[in-house]
Amino acid sequence: MVNQRVKPILVALALFLGLFAFGQRANAAEPNYVISTDATYAPFDFQDKNNEYIGIDQDILKEVAKRNHFTYTLKPMSFNAAAQMVANGQADGIIAGMAITDERKQVYDVSDPYYKTGVAWITKKGSKINSLSELKGKTVALKSGTAASNYGLSLQKKYGFKVKYFNDTDTMYNDVANGNSAATFEDMPVIQYAIKNGLKLEIKNPNNPGNAGAYGFFVKKGQNPQLIADFNKTLKEMKADGTYQKIVDKYLKSDQKTFTGSTEDNKTTWGILKSNKTAFFNGLVETIELTVFAIILASLWGILLGTMGVSQSKFLRGLSNTIIYAFRGLPLMVLAFFIYIGLPGVIGTKIPAFTAGLLTLILNEGAYTGAFVRGGFEAVDRGQMEAAQSLGLPYGKAMSKVIIPQGLKIMVPSFVNQFIITLKDTSILSAIGILELTQTGTLIVARNSQGFRVWAIIGIMYMIVITLLTWLSNWLEKRLNK
Amino acid sequence: MSEEKQVKVHVDKVNKSYGDNHVLRDISLDVMANEVVVMIGPSGSGKSTFLRMLNQLEMPNSGLVEVDGYDISDPKTNINKVRENIGMVFQNFNLFNNYTVLENITLAPVQLGKMTKEEADKRGRELLATVGLSDKADVSVNSLSGGQKQRIAIARALAMNPDIMLFDEPTSALDPEMVGDVLDVMKDLAKSGMTMIIVTHEMGFAKQVADRVVFFESGKIQESGTPEEVFNAPKNERLQTFLSKVMQA
Repeated sequence: MVNQRVKPILVALALFLGLFAFGQRANAAEPNYVISTDATYAPFDFQDKNNEYIGIDQDILKEVAKRNHFTYTLKPMSFNAAAQMVANGQADGIIAGMAITDERKQVYDVSDPYYKTGVAWITKKGSKINSLSELKGKTVALKSGTAASNYGLSLQKKYGFKVKYFNDTDTMYNDVANGNSAATFEDMPVIQYAIKNGLKLEIKNPNNPGNAGAYGFFVKKGQNPQLIADFNKTLKEMKADGTYQKIVDKYLKSDQKTFTGSTEDNKTTWGILKSNKTAFFNGLVETIELTVFAIILASLWGILLGTMGVSQSKFLRGLSNTIIYAFRGLPLMVLAFFIYIGLPGVIGTKIPAFTAGLLTLILNEGAYTGAFVRGGFEAVDRGQMEAAQSLGLPYGKAMSKVIIPQGLKIMVPSFVNQFIITLKDTSILSAIGILELTQTGTLIVARNSQGFRVWAIIGIMYMIVITLLTWLSNWLEKRLNK
Repeated sequence: MSEEKQVKVHVDKVNKSYGDNHVLRDISLDVMANEVVVMIGPSGSGKSTFLRMLNQLEMPNSGLVEVDGYDISDPKTNINKVRENIGMVFQNFNLFNNYTVLENITLAPVQLGKMTKEEADKRGRELLATVGLSDKADVSVNSLSGGQKQRIAIARALAMNPDIMLFDEPTSALDPEMVGDVLDVMKDLAKSGMTMIIVTHEMGFAKQVADRVVFFESGKIQESGTPEEVFNAPKNERLQTFLSKVMQA
C-alpha cells in the first residue's frame, strides 16, 4: 500500500533529476564559454536577415575566440536577464554594449574599453520639445538596467518627468515614435544606427552626448580572469592591425540593407513572411514543442497532485495543498527567472533555457491542473465511493475504477482550457531567451522596425495553433463522452 | 449444529457522536443468521448511522462491532475482506455512472478476483433475471427509472455472494408506483434465507417480512420484538406516539 503511494512521487522525482542532468555539459578539449548578450541592440548585437547574431560586439567576440582558441555558446536575451546571468554564474561573460560604470565594477570584472559612447536624448521626429526642461510632467521611456537609463533617471528630479520601463530597445523606440512617451535616453551609436535604419526619431544632443563613457566586456568578479586577459590582448592586436576599424566601419558605414535585407522584404507583409520564413517556422516549432511537452508533463504532474489532494493520508493532502498554493501563487515569469537565473547559483549546475522553461511550465500549469483535478474528484458524488467500498473494493481500486474515470470526465473542459493557457504562457518564456514565437517576433522587429506587421503575423500564428488545439480537444472530448 | 443459532452481527455498547451530537448511545444488538431485522424510527434517530457502522462506512467512538466473527471496530481488521461478505443497498442507489448495468454488477467480483469475466457475466445475467431486468444488461444506468436502479443495485450487491445484506431506506427515494417492485425483490431474498438488516419507513413491509422489529429513537433502541409485539402491543410510549403518527398517514 505504502509502496503504491510512494511510487508516483519517486517517478516524479526521477523526472526532475533527469531534467537537471540534461543541464550538465560535457567538457570539451577547448574551453567553451557561455556568453550572454542583448538580442536587440543594433549595431552592436542583433539578428541579421539570416537569423545570425551579428553586430560590432559579435564580430569582436568572434575574433577574440578565434585568436585565443576557445569556443562559446551565445545566449541572446533581454539585457537585464543577460547581465544577471553573468552575475549569478549562469554565463561566463557578457558582451552587450554594456557601459563601464563604477557600480558595475563592484559586481563584475571588466575588460579595457572597446567602444567610446555617450548618452543621447531622443524624441519623435519633428517633436517641438527641444530642451530637457520641456519634458516636465511628460513620460520618458527607459530600458531597464542600462547605463543610458541610469543617466536618464539621474536627470528625472531636475526636469520632473515620469518614467516608464521597457525590456527591449525596439519596443521602447516605438513607444516614443508612436507618441506614447515623449522622449527616451539611449547610447549614441545605437540610436544613430536605428534612425539610419528608418526609425522616425530625432536626436536632440548629437554633438553633446551626456555621461560620456565606454563599453566593456564583463565577467563575474573574480571569475574567468583568463577570458578578460584574452579579450584585452586581442583588442589591442585588432586595433593595431586594423581589424577593429574594419568591424566598426562594416556596421556604421555600410548600407543597412546588407544586414536587414531589401526594403521590399521588410516593408510588405508577404516580404516579411518570405524573408523570415525559417525564423517563423523555427519559432513555431519551439512554441509547439514547449507546449506539447508542457501539456503532457503538467497534466501528469497535475493529476498526481490532484490525486494526492484527495488521498486518505493527511500528509499527502497537506503536501499537495502546499505545492499547489506555492506554484499557483508565483507569477510565471518570476518562476522562470528563479529557475533559470536564480537556481543555478545555488545548485551549481547550469540549466538550459528550454529545460528551465519547461520546468517552469510544468510547475505552474501543473499547480492549476492539480487544483481542478482535486476539485473534479471532489465533485464526484460521495455515494460512488461508498458504494465501491461497500463491495469490498480497496481505496486504490475504487479511485481508479470508479472515481477517477468520472472525475476526469468532469474535468475535460478544464483541461482544454488549461492547454490553451499553456500555449499562451509559453510566450512569457521569451524573457529567458527561449527562441519561441514571441522572442522570434521581438528579434525580427528589432531588425526591421515593422512592429505592426510582424506582431500581426505572430498573433495569427498563435490563433491558428490555438484553433488546431481546440479542434483536437473537442475531438478528444467527444470520444471520452461516448 | 443448527444454522439459526449462529450470530452474524454482534454489537455491544456502541457509541457514536459528531461533535456535541450524540447519535448512538450504548447500543447493543445481535443478529442471527437467516434473520430479517427491520429498523424503524423517526428521522435522525440514529438507525442509518447504526447500519453504516456494520460495514465501517462509519466508525464507532466506543464499543464493539463484530460481523462474521471479525472485530470491525478495530482499525487493524482488513475491512475490505469483511465487506466482500456484506452487501449494501443505498437510498440513492449509487450505481456507478461510468459503467453499463451489467458492468456495474460484474465490476467488484472481477476486480477482486472472485470470478473471471465470463463467470461474472453469466452470474450477472442470472441476477438481472431474478430482479426482472434481463433486457437492461447493456444500457447506461442513467437511462433507468429509480425502481429499476434500485433493483440493479440489489443485484450488484448480490453478485459478491454476500451472507449479510444491509438496506438503507431502499425505497425512500422512489416514486410510489416503483416501491412494490423493489419490495418484491427484497421479499424473495428474505424467503431465500438471506440475513438482512433493513432501515425503512414501509411499516406494512416490516410487518410482513421482519422476524424482528427494532425501534430507534434519540440514538437508543427503545423497544424490539416480533412484528406482532411491536405493531400490535407497543409498550414504549415513544413507540406508541411514533406508530400513531405513521399509521395515520
